[in-house]
Amino acid sequence: MSLDAIARSEMETWFSVSQFYSCEARYLDELEFEKWVGLMAEDIRYWMPIVSNRIGREVGNELTVRGELAHFEDDHESLSNRVRRLATGRAWAETPPGRTNHLISNVEIGEAEGDLVNVRSQFLIYRSHLETDQEIFSGTRLDKLRPDEATNWKIVDRTIILDHAVLTQKSLGIFF
Amino acid sequence: MLDQGKNPHFDHLVALGKGEINRAIFSDPDIYQRELKQIFAKCWLFLGHMSQLPKENDFIATYMGEDPVIVTRQPGGKIGAFLNMCRHRGNRVCRADSGNQRTFSCPFHGWTYGNNGELKVVPGHRQVYHEELDMEAHGLIAVARIDDYKGMIFATFDKNAPALDEYLGDMAWYLDMALDRREGGIEFLAGVHKWRIKCNWKFPVDNFAGDSYHGPVSHGSAWESGFEGMPRRKKGYGYEGFQINAGNGHGFGARWAENEEQVYEMALPEFLDYEKERFPETRARLGDLRGMHLSPMHCSIFPNFSMLWQSGNMRVWHPRGVGETEGWSWCFVDQKASPEHRDLVRIHDLQRHGTLGTWEQDDVDNWVQSTMSSRGYVGRQVLQNLSMGINHEIEDPKSIHPDMRGRVAGFQNEINQRSLYGQWARMMEGDGPAVPGANA
Repeated sequence: MSLDAIARSEMETWFSVSQFYSCEARYLDELEFEKWVGLMAEDIRYWMPIVSNRIGREVGNELTVRGELAHFEDDHESLSNRVRRLATGRAWAETPPGRTNHLISNVEIGEAEGDLVNVRSQFLIYRSHLETDQEIFSGTRLDKLRPDEATNWKIVDRTIILDHAVLTQKSLGIFF
Repeated sequence: MLDQGKNPHFDHLVALGKGEINRAIFSDPDIYQRELKQIFAKCWLFLGHMSQLPKENDFIATYMGEDPVIVTRQPGGKIGAFLNMCRHRGNRVCRADSGNQRTFSCPFHGWTYGNNGELKVVPGHRQVYHEELDMEAHGLIAVARIDDYKGMIFATFDKNAPALDEYLGDMAWYLDMALDRREGGIEFLAGVHKWRIKCNWKFPVDNFAGDSYHGPVSHGSAWESGFEGMPRRKKGYGYEGFQINAGNGHGFGARWAENEEQVYEMALPEFLDYEKERFPETRARLGDLRGMHLSPMHCSIFPNFSMLWQSGNMRVWHPRGVGETEGWSWCFVDQKASPEHRDLVRIHDLQRHGTLGTWEQDDVDNWVQSTMSSRGYVGRQVLQNLSMGINHEIEDPKSIHPDMRGRVAGFQNEINQRSLYGQWARMMEGDGPAVPGANA
């Protein structure tokens, strides 16, 4: 391929992934959680480690690792169950549901791994609930995406690195 | 109105004979300030587990009330706990949540302390302090007493506090059902869930002490969506079992199994193989009552430690002002548990409890709502009701089983909450000890 063709291919991937993320964010913000789960591969690993404050020689060990406690450690079944719970009408902390805006940015396409594409993105999520409850969440997502005929991409692996050491509001019924 | 005298009375705020509580105790800033002094600076508070400090010079940072403390394993292995506060201007000398260090240096002027609390370095001690600053008298403020019960580290800032064993009383014996059911005891997995809740700290403690009543309503959505976590053997409303009050404000709820088969019948499907593996050892170590009949579910140890036994979950509720609480939630496993079982416990725990737990979300919402209702003037005049089963305690607990200790009631009974607020009033009232009759 010519350099021009490589650049065009990268731009196409970037455009396609960015559109996919916007669609995903819209599903979450419009409470279309079943459609959102539909973007997950059957073998999805959805993981959010815990960050803590470290100093000195411990700098670099801020995140818990696999096998240690995490905020999320979910698969397709448990994500689907979380969504089913929200649909019962008796998930009281989300009744009425919160209002969110997922802003996804800084999309960087990384190395390909077989048919998987590595993508790094950053998020800012605003949530308003009931009268004056409000939260802002920021962080980074590291995804592995697989091309898919129906939804363009499926999320095969998502690591969510939240910036917060202490979550400042309630417990969370939202997705990242 | 809160009596501002030297020894104000609090029993009128918690009329336990009628099962009524004045909601001011959840919203009055003066009462909160007194709690910091009378409860959080006097009671034994949970700091962490030995498995979080396996090596010399390991440390963890936590809180006792609103006071930040550092817990250290010193050279030689001794565990200490110190106020995380430089003796010069009061800044924190440790800004990490955990790590491994021999010394802690204040980022302001560089006063440096050993992990045994000794002040070791004061920049300019000769030139600007003229060697007149008494280094020995300016170490980090140590807790008055520190001890552990089977790996669980507790400390108190009250030098007159009763011994930890005495403070825990019969609760220690019952805690063995988690801490000593297998050889080697338990360990904490790395990582802590931490989150802020706009609720008074007593609501979650109350909930874990004895509220088995809220489950079917509050957690219905989680149960029917695949996040099980309660036994299947139902009898009447709720489940067969008991609320057991171990005294001094400590209490727990447990299901009851007649025999080994019922232990397995009540087990969560994913834990069944492990239950079968560990049961003979547990029964041999703890006997029939603790090793078979009682399957504990929830508990609180006064003032702010709670546990969900079956989920491998322990937590502390740090007060953050009268209307805010910081929950810290850990996952624990038997040290002998296989890697596969550890994975199952961890995933079970985090999908239900802590920051993103499918159960926790609805609990937290309840405590926030309860706190809000204690703010309005009119609502605050309406007493809170804790009367469930008030005249229906079991008269002779030994009739259930000769080894039974403490006061006992049916599984759906607010006995543990009444005991919790009774202990609260006792601590708030004056200069008495945390255990009635102990050395004052």
